[in-house]
Amino acid sequence: MRNKVKQVLADNYPEIDFEASNELVDDGILDSLTMVGIISALSMEFGVVLPYEDILPENFNSIDAMVELLEKYI
Amino acid sequence: MTYNSLQFFPFFAIFLILYLLMPRVKLRQIVILIGNIVFYMLAAGKGTLFVLAATSLVVYAAARAIDHIYSGYEREKEGLTPKEGAALFAGYKKRAKKYLLAAFFLILGFLFYAKIGKLFGFKETDTAMGLFSGGTILVPLGLSYYTFSSVGYLLDLYWKKAKCERDYFRLIVCMTYFPHIVQGPIGRYDKLLKQFAALPGFCYERVCAGLIRMLWGFIKKMVIADRLALFTRAVFASPGEFAGFEIFLAVSLCAVELYADFSGCMDIVIGAAETMGITLDENFKRPFFSKSAAEFWRRWHITLGAWFKDYVYMPVAMSPRFMKTCVNFRKKHGNRAGQIFSSAIPLAIVWLLTGLWHGTGADYVVWGIYWGAVIILGTVLTPEFKKLTTKLAINTESFGYQFFQMARIYFLFVIGRMFTVTGSLEGFGKLVTGLFKEHRLWTIFDGSLYEHGLDYKNFCVAVIGIAAIWISDMLGEHINIREALSKQPLVLRWFVYYSGMVILLIFGMYGEAFDASNFVYGGF
Repeated sequence: MRNKVKQVLADNYPEIDFEASNELVDDGILDSLTMVGIISALSMEFGVVLPYEDILPENFNSIDAMVELLEKYI
Repeated sequence: MTYNSLQFFPFFAIFLILYLLMPRVKLRQIVILIGNIVFYMLAAGKGTLFVLAATSLVVYAAARAIDHIYSGYEREKEGLTPKEGAALFAGYKKRAKKYLLAAFFLILGFLFYAKIGKLFGFKETDTAMGLFSGGTILVPLGLSYYTFSSVGYLLDLYWKKAKCERDYFRLIVCMTYFPHIVQGPIGRYDKLLKQFAALPGFCYERVCAGLIRMLWGFIKKMVIADRLALFTRAVFASPGEFAGFEIFLAVSLCAVELYADFSGCMDIVIGAAETMGITLDENFKRPFFSKSAAEFWRRWHITLGAWFKDYVYMPVAMSPRFMKTCVNFRKKHGNRAGQIFSSAIPLAIVWLLTGLWHGTGADYVVWGIYWGAVIILGTVLTPEFKKLTTKLAINTESFGYQFFQMARIYFLFVIGRMFTVTGSLEGFGKLVTGLFKEHRLWTIFDGSLYEHGLDYKNFCVAVIGIAAIWISDMLGEHINIREALSKQPLVLRWFVYYSGMVILLIFGMYGEAFDASNFVYGGF
């Protein structure tokens, strides 16, 4: 699962090093536009709909956090 | 009464003394509520106070109802897996939605009524009878601001991103809080309510720091913005009579004027709140040092931008129906096009609504479309810009290129202002045609430039003021100016403070018969 998420992120945003930080949103590496793109890409890949109450910075601060969030809905 | 009127000074002095004398949090809250009511009645009349009180009751009732529903979910979710918990929550959310929509119908409905009324040219009134008489609309002071904060608070509760305030007294103290009621910052009630629950006692350093910030705000508003307004208003009142350099100067200065006006007001209100130990959100972060349009709007009117991002942009972009459309679009047209589509559509909605928030006239709709187009194109074309600068071997880190980026943003902002400054698109047309009609550079030398509200000496004062703002912003990018000042020797510190007060007294524009000029954003 983790590798698949990592691959989706790398395919869509090759310019971003997602392993560089565990505070991707808090460090300003991911802005809201990028987050929307990531969520859209992950939704397409995994066929899930993430509810808005789960769109929190802490759920996108690292690849592990994103995996944990996806696992909640798969 | 406005924040810069003569009435405000004794009001605030008496209020602050009473507030600081109170020994307990509850008493401080009571003093704030009394201060809020007195301020609102002096600023807007008592006729509209009932609308604010009614709104607070609607918000409180809806918040409690949502909280009550979700407490059932909290009890039931024990022992469930995250997936089961998410499914259970969806059912509770459906029930909570009814109360949310009912509250929105009432509070957003009132905002809609006021905005539509303005669009149809109804006369604004501040008496309760205005609700029932034909041809008039009741527009309470700060309607757009407290409505947005209330909507944000209820949505945060609905999404379980905030805690419900069960004390109505504390909610109304926060909602009516006089430093943010007139023109923001658009506060997050959940953040503010925590501060109102623990109002700190007297602290000499904090009170001084707040008063210094207020002084700087008054200087920006009364010495710089109101001075520049004398010239810009003269030009924009009859744009057909001016041309070339006169119009260029007026539109260039009106951007600084708005910045000095709005950020000056924010300094006054944030400073006033600081004296009470309350931290309001910052609304400006030296916006004219931005290098892109998107960055500019993260630094200008920050709380409005953040509100639209959290409560319009993200929910639209994340809505299941839109997500599905994006996924289909991506499959059909590829990743790049999919990324553009998924961000451009919500951005277009946000900017249309931002335009309508500022005004319902065609000029503001065009203004919103203009900024939406600039931001969407800036975002979409970022890779192409990068390729171009690499191909042309431009050093994007050089001072020259960064200066170009900042100047570009300044003039993009000026063009945006031109749509709305005259109050109509017809006026915008006159400004544009006048700009290229003749150069009129001679007006600088024959003295006629100084006959439109601002003489030569006052132009000089304005230029010095603009330089002061620029220097303060430049320093502010690197250091905390007030903190640095507080570390200076006592004599130097007080020399600066007294100089500020003297500058305000001598160069402040007090208007005819001391009728202070209103803040531009107070009209929204």
